[in-house]
Amino acid sequence: MSQTKVISEINGSMWKVLVKEGDAVSEDDMLAVVESMKMEIPVLAPVSGTVDKILVTEGQAVTEGVPLMLMSH
Amino acid sequence: MAHEQMIAEYEQARKKALGMGGPEKLAKRKEQNVLNARERLEVLLDEGSWAESGLFATSHRAEVRDRTPADAKIAGFGKVEGRQVAVVSNDFTVLGASSSVINGKKIRHMREVASKSGMPLIMLGESTGARMPDRMGAEGRAILGQDAYEYRRLRESPWVSALLGACYGSSTWYACLSDFVVMRRGATMAVASGRVTSAAIRQEIESEDLGGWKMHAETSGLVDAVVETDEEALAHIRKWLSYLPSHQNEAPPVYPVPEGSDGRGHRIVDLMPEDGAKVYDVRKIVETVVDVGSLMELKPRFGRSICTALARIEGRSVGIVANNPLFKGGAIDVDACNKVIGFLVLCDSFNIPLVFMVDQPGFLIGVEGERRAAPGRIMNWMNALALVTVPKISVIMRKSYGQAYLNMGGGRNSDEVISWPSADLGFMAPSVGASVLFGVKEEDDPVRYRQLVEELSKDTSAWRLAALYETQAVIDPRDTRETLARLLEVHRTRQGKAVGQHLLANWPTTF
Repeated sequence: MSQTKVISEINGSMWKVLVKEGDAVSEDDMLAVVESMKMEIPVLAPVSGTVDKILVTEGQAVTEGVPLMLMSH
Repeated sequence: MAHEQMIAEYEQARKKALGMGGPEKLAKRKEQNVLNARERLEVLLDEGSWAESGLFATSHRAEVRDRTPADAKIAGFGKVEGRQVAVVSNDFTVLGASSSVINGKKIRHMREVASKSGMPLIMLGESTGARMPDRMGAEGRAILGQDAYEYRRLRESPWVSALLGACYGSSTWYACLSDFVVMRRGATMAVASGRVTSAAIRQEIESEDLGGWKMHAETSGLVDAVVETDEEALAHIRKWLSYLPSHQNEAPPVYPVPEGSDGRGHRIVDLMPEDGAKVYDVRKIVETVVDVGSLMELKPRFGRSICTALARIEGRSVGIVANNPLFKGGAIDVDACNKVIGFLVLCDSFNIPLVFMVDQPGFLIGVEGERRAAPGRIMNWMNALALVTVPKISVIMRKSYGQAYLNMGGGRNSDEVISWPSADLGFMAPSVGASVLFGVKEEDDPVRYRQLVEELSKDTSAWRLAALYETQAVIDPRDTRETLARLLEVHRTRQGKAVGQHLLANWPTTF
């Protein structure tokens, strides 16, 4: 079992979180949507596994490279 | 001496040279499922086309002369799909394919013949770097730098490198001078090995972190394609060469149009979301426009908000530069700028017409970009675009904002600009304009805000652009392939036999 950080690839604001802790997801599933440059930018699961922890809330500012969630797989 | 004896001696010398680093080392490679230097040539080249140069070359140093068949770098000429190529295949079983005086002469000869007679140069890399003790001390220095053109590129013909093992020294330098680099997972490329680096800077560093596939594919951008096996790497080289001419003074080869290439445009309207804030994968749209199975994306994990790819339309090579909203909403960052500039150099140098597929919200603005010299990259791109002499056609699919409108071929920066009715032009998104230009925020005065957004949206349509003759055609998106094929035909330079002026041919080899 290893842990993977889910990061935002862009600075923006956390618009929607689409999963909850404990959810099982597949690689490339949409986990959240970040709003930036007037675009709705999806945050995709980097691996298949379980969402362990959600570190952000909707409306919060997010920074490129900072973890939004932790996943185990 | 009797002829029989001479021939027997010849056969013996030949056998020894072809024996490479010996059966033990070769068996070990086989166990690891890695091809040896001669097997790689067999897989890469057309059957029976190999003409070796320097089979009997060895180290000039007496103490290792017996242990250096072909002096560790196998060189010669072969054919790929019937076309001539020059190849250097590093033999890691012979002193780690280290670079020496004699094998340096072999590389030089391949390079010179490739440039002079107009054929691609292929380097199959796997080398420990400079051979010690050849290069030790002041005498070692005297070997270096005897060829002033060793690292000069004028792109007379395409250069290709494969990174197929530990690559330091020459294998690294030649990869960074090449027009296409393919890397096998498990290979490494760096200035020096993890061991040497750790000793020098007194920090434990793994070779994989220093120069593994992930680092180069995602961060340095020095690698165009990553593959799993040697065979796949060699197949990638053959495929990449199929889009390229043998040299800069001819047009790329023309291939038959695969069945089923036409009539897929109707998919575009399903692939492209109507809401401009929604994202999609532009590669799916590009696939419907180019010949079936012809799309070869380069650097797919680097600067992903733009897709750069070789492809064919009606059997002829094109270079695609397409904004990809799936990543960063299509906002163009510094990595994407560098990727595009390198791609413009490739296409301009080898007579490959360019097609821009445009849907971008602007350059990605922020502190990180400024620190990485974003304005300089944006202007390098514009300068490169102005120097491109191959045909350029721009398709505005959806939004095209700000300065990036010009970088993506807007105005006179393309030979033709065509637009879909969904095109949206402006200096910035109308919603941003309302707050930046008029200081009105939605939450403070929603009525006035909506009114301003509507006003600012009015003059940004394809129709307005067409009325000003800034787009030469507004087309049904489903007709994009046919329109591009026709316009590429129009702009093929008949006087120059589809050969450009290569004004970018001596631009840097990496960006």
